[in-house]
Amino acid sequence: MKENIITIEHVTKRYPVGEGEFTALNDVNIQFRKGEFAGIVGPSGSGKTTLLNIIGSLDSPTEGKAVVMGKNISELNHKDSALLRNLHLGFIFQVYNLLPVYTVFENVEFALLLQNKTVTERKKAVMESLEWVGLGKMANKKPSKLSGGEGQRVAIARAMVKRPEIVLADEPTANLDSANAHAILKTMKTLNKELNTTFLFSTHDEKVMGYLERMVHLEDGKVKQDEIIEAKKTE
Amino acid sequence: MKLLFHLAYKNLVGAGLRTWLNVGILSFVYIIIVFYNGFVDGLSRQGTRNSIEWEIGNGELLNNKYDPYNAFTLLDGHGILPADKEKNLVPVLIRQATIYPQGRMVSILIKGIETNQTILKIPTQLFTSSTAKIPALIGKQMAASTNLKAGDEIMLRWRDKNGTFDAANITIAGIFDTQVATIDIGQIWIPIKKLRQMTDLNQHTTLFIAVNDYVNENISGWNFKSQYDLLSNIRGLIRVEKVGDYIIYLLLLAIAMLAIFDTQVLSIFRRQREIGTYISLGMTRAQVAKLFTIEGCMYSLFATVIGAVFGTPLFIYFAHAGIGTPSMQGLAIPIANIVYPVYGVVAIVSTIVLVVVPATIVSFLPARKISQMNPVDALKGKVQ
Repeated sequence: MKENIITIEHVTKRYPVGEGEFTALNDVNIQFRKGEFAGIVGPSGSGKTTLLNIIGSLDSPTEGKAVVMGKNISELNHKDSALLRNLHLGFIFQVYNLLPVYTVFENVEFALLLQNKTVTERKKAVMESLEWVGLGKMANKKPSKLSGGEGQRVAIARAMVKRPEIVLADEPTANLDSANAHAILKTMKTLNKELNTTFLFSTHDEKVMGYLERMVHLEDGKVKQDEIIEAKKTE
Repeated sequence: MKLLFHLAYKNLVGAGLRTWLNVGILSFVYIIIVFYNGFVDGLSRQGTRNSIEWEIGNGELLNNKYDPYNAFTLLDGHGILPADKEKNLVPVLIRQATIYPQGRMVSILIKGIETNQTILKIPTQLFTSSTAKIPALIGKQMAASTNLKAGDEIMLRWRDKNGTFDAANITIAGIFDTQVATIDIGQIWIPIKKLRQMTDLNQHTTLFIAVNDYVNENISGWNFKSQYDLLSNIRGLIRVEKVGDYIIYLLLLAIAMLAIFDTQVLSIFRRQREIGTYISLGMTRAQVAKLFTIEGCMYSLFATVIGAVFGTPLFIYFAHAGIGTPSMQGLAIPIANIVYPVYGVVAIVSTIVLVVVPATIVSFLPARKISQMNPVDALKGKVQ
């Protein structure tokens, strides 16, 4: 039995909207184990991204407890929260969010700079990550020179370069054509298998769902269904 | 911190034109401030040096009845100093007189000075080489206003100690070139021995110029004014000049700081996703705020380098070629036709501080907003 690395207990998240409040998550209970290739799925406004942000310690629950890598997100100060993200979490965003003035190499290297790794360690890790995503020869290009698919692959390399335990991917294929989406998902799946990294998606893209081993269906901020996809699980 | 400097450097260089516009404005401010500072320092230094070399020496011992700012005191403002007290002092006797150049009547001061003095640059050695009965020296401006030239004779009319008018022709033995108007305009210098004879004021002196070895002691009837006291006018004028300059500096700085502030405020909004990305990659909000502050500060550091690259040859050129100051002639301060700016290390360092500190402060103010920013909103670009 693999260990739980994410535990969500009675998590509620409310946002102030005008005079009232909007409940994005409503008493959500869920756990994710190490090495899972799982997705939080549901329509827009169902609370997928909010849950992903809480797990990523970019946000905190209004009520309940979110424990990631043994750390209670609500109890972390800014510094510890940043440390958790830097050491254990990788993020992949819908719009890639590559830093425009840096080269591909520098974008991927960034997280390692924050970890004070040596130049040699950084170079080795960055080139290895770029090779994983098939962009070893594009290290010196600027993000503006990349296609959408290449940009998202750089984002994957950036998320993976520090070998995080968890990668959080928020609608990673939303801006990609079908071929690129499948290529990227295959890359992530391979990394999941080879490095035993937990991948957690927020998506409503059918293509992504086709690769998931577990789907947590959210609707109106509540878990409607937690579905293990047997065929994929036994692969 | 090293990492933040590295990132700030990369961000600024990568930002291209936005960076270089700000750096350009700031380096212009640097050059203007250093240039003006150098000009005023050069003005001050030249004015001080000219005053010392041409007029005040190491200080002046004035007869108590003589007030340099009151022409009515000239008649009685003289006396005899005991001979044993005259050591290291050059006597000057001042009387009022009239000359008649080209039929005009011009009131002047006639000043008698020791022929063999060397403390002032007035070329009194020309008295000894002249065969004229009453050799006289005048300054270039006096020569121009009276249309006199070396070798000319002109009638001088004066009154002796009893008030009796007398007159004689004097011969212009030489014309000296000085920027010190107070020893030039409306003045004629002749040997003191001759003036004492002409006025029957034997051994009388209006003031003494102290040479470098002079040691002041209280002498009854005489009042010593040190070099520092006598230069207070120049210092006052330079202070006024500097106040005007500070206003210009402040305006220039305000424009430059506004440009940086504007850039930084825009950055907070335009670079929201970038800020969110930094945070998601593991930077703390405080680190991101520091990064933006360093970026703002770095504008001024870049400007220092660029300003040095463009400014140094310019400053060296002006320090050697000087700057013409025709519009400043005729002021109480002895200003040269050409002022040679002086660029001191203190002035340059203080200018750098003057630019870097406000640049850092105006960068920090908008960067503070980052520390209150919700990273989720930043990633979505929703911060207002």
